Amino acid sequence: MTSPPRAELLRAEHLTRHFKIGGALSHRTLHAVDDVSFTIGEREIVALAGESGSGKSTIARVLARIYQPTSGEIYFEGKPVSQIRSRRDRLRYSGLVPMVFQDPFGSMNPVFRVEHGVLRSLKLHRPELSAQERSAEAARVFEAVGLGADMRQRFPYELSGGQRQRVGFAQALAMRPKLILADEPVSMLDVSIRIGLLNLMAELRDTMGVSVLYITHDIASARYVADRLIVMYAGQIAESGPIEDVLASPRHPYTQLLLSAVPDPRAPLSAAGQADRGEPPKVIDPTPGCRFRWRCPLAIDTCATRTPVLAELAPDHDAACHVAQAGADQVKAFA
Amino acid sequence: MPDVPVLEVSGLCVDYVLDRGDVRAVDDVSFTLGRGEFLGVVGESGCGKSTLLFAVAQLLSPPARVAAGSVKFQGTNMVGMTDEQLAAIRWRDMSVVMQSAMNALNPVKSIGAQFKDAMKAHGAFSKDEIADRSAEVLRMVGIDPVHLKSYPHQLSGGMRQRSMIAMAMLFTPDLVIMDEPTSALDVVAQRSLMVQIKELQLSYGFAVIFVTHDMSLISHFSDQLMVMYAGQVDEFGTTRTVFDRPLHPYTQGLLEAFPSLRGPKVPLKGIPGNPPDLARLPAGCRFHPRCPHAVDKCAQVAPELVTLDEAFVRCLRRQDGSLPAEAGHEGSLSR
Repeated sequence: MTSPPRAELLRAEHLTRHFKIGGALSHRTLHAVDDVSFTIGEREIVALAGESGSGKSTIARVLARIYQPTSGEIYFEGKPVSQIRSRRDRLRYSGLVPMVFQDPFGSMNPVFRVEHGVLRSLKLHRPELSAQERSAEAARVFEAVGLGADMRQRFPYELSGGQRQRVGFAQALAMRPKLILADEPVSMLDVSIRIGLLNLMAELRDTMGVSVLYITHDIASARYVADRLIVMYAGQIAESGPIEDVLASPRHPYTQLLLSAVPDPRAPLSAAGQADRGEPPKVIDPTPGCRFRWRCPLAIDTCATRTPVLAELAPDHDAACHVAQAGADQVKAFA
Repeated sequence: MPDVPVLEVSGLCVDYVLDRGDVRAVDDVSFTLGRGEFLGVVGESGCGKSTLLFAVAQLLSPPARVAAGSVKFQGTNMVGMTDEQLAAIRWRDMSVVMQSAMNALNPVKSIGAQFKDAMKAHGAFSKDEIADRSAEVLRMVGIDPVHLKSYPHQLSGGMRQRSMIAMAMLFTPDLVIMDEPTSALDVVAQRSLMVQIKELQLSYGFAVIFVTHDMSLISHFSDQLMVMYAGQVDEFGTTRTVFDRPLHPYTQGLLEAFPSLRGPKVPLKGIPGNPPDLARLPAGCRFHPRCPHAVDKCAQVAPELVTLDEAFVRCLRRQDGSLPAEAGHEGSLSR
């Protein structure tokens, strides 16, 4: 599957975010995101996948300017984001790059009607609109996410999880975004409801040209909507590329582990296979070396001394793995 | 007791007694669970799965109450037992693993102290016995016993869930009831927990009732599968049969709601709409407003649960044979 090259919308270069942990005298640092570079094109859904604690959400928060990066730079439409100074430009950026949160029960004010959030962000981000125009705009975005007109006047408790998550998307759409940062938007929903939200994301891309950074740990749902896949492990990118290519021939042992963990009811019912008991490490003051080496059945001596960097192994398909880069075409760690 | 099943539930009905009238959350559910069997219960949120579990474990509190039916645990009816009588069974013979370990574990007590509490509440043991057994069950789930001294916040989500399971194993019960124990975990941790549960079950021979909304999760683990919708059993059979030949349109919808990792990408629809409000059930078949195959009759006649091809199914069109065997189901397993 080849798709035409897309114009670049956002580029992150050597993005790093560290957190100081412990008391005031502690010198320990948690490396939540370490030297991560990627691009998101226009009209593109990029899936960012990895386990809890791999730094996915930190990336979204850095992109949304909730956190400042420790180092590195984000370029949005070619301009460095760190240069944004005025309130007007900041508002413009957060309107173009809004976020949709994971928990549809915690991200809405329970005492206001669901329309309130949309109207408020319209007032803030598009002050030129009159009250009437704001209401019309709210109607438009609710329609766009598949919620009827009667939904706007309801309170959050009257809505199901799926409907609330649609309200989250409506809120993001009201600001005419270019890129929606969706942080696990479906993981708290029932399986039967998830597909509707995934279809909505694809529809927003196809009809409105919105790009989405879709953060998830569910690779099967990523495959369903995304164009490209970035796999994170312990704050670094393990593998990235066009999603079909990555899934057809995963180069990094960690990607293979993730794929093997996805339950597939269509696969023949067989023995459960091996269980991986490992846990993603907390990256505190790391020493050089591959961060996956403790769980990796293929680890070689180099893995303990040198940190692997991303290298292109197939067209547009990168992996950060010494073994895969050494030319072993048939890297197979987890079936 | 060689011939007495571990659990025999017959005609169980649970009502929520509310001011505006009683709401029946579990309607006439019957099943038998043999020694060492694994029963999966699936359905969307609000279909009565958790209420069913609570009724089986006799954990219902007002306004919920068992309105009819019996729950026989090793031949004795538990409905109507006093708390003293139940205390003798609970945890020793039957234990429960709750959905969210974060909420079920006491945050200000170490894991070991909580194990000690559970053991002291259900028997007289010496300090050494408690320490030995606690270390043993923790090792059973693959956690180093040094974590007996850890507090819940010091453990990862997967380890917290596994220590909950360890706690349920303290007395090697005959029945372990699990309410979505994996739903807060990511795929890799989820997979390893499922394999762990299955291994424990095979080596200790306890029966399991496992509730989840993710059908794909238990496809490789459960022996029997019960699909619930709006408080009723819609389909019930061996897991193999239900996955290979789902008869009820709702089961088919659930099965086709997951995107697949392999094979061609197919547009999915999920199941349109939401489960009904149990206080305002539709007439006739409870699923007919969302059913792609509904005919006029479905809105008038409430179907019964009848045997059909080794499985039980509650569908009028299936029962009168007007729905061809493969209708609406393009062999989702062969894709």
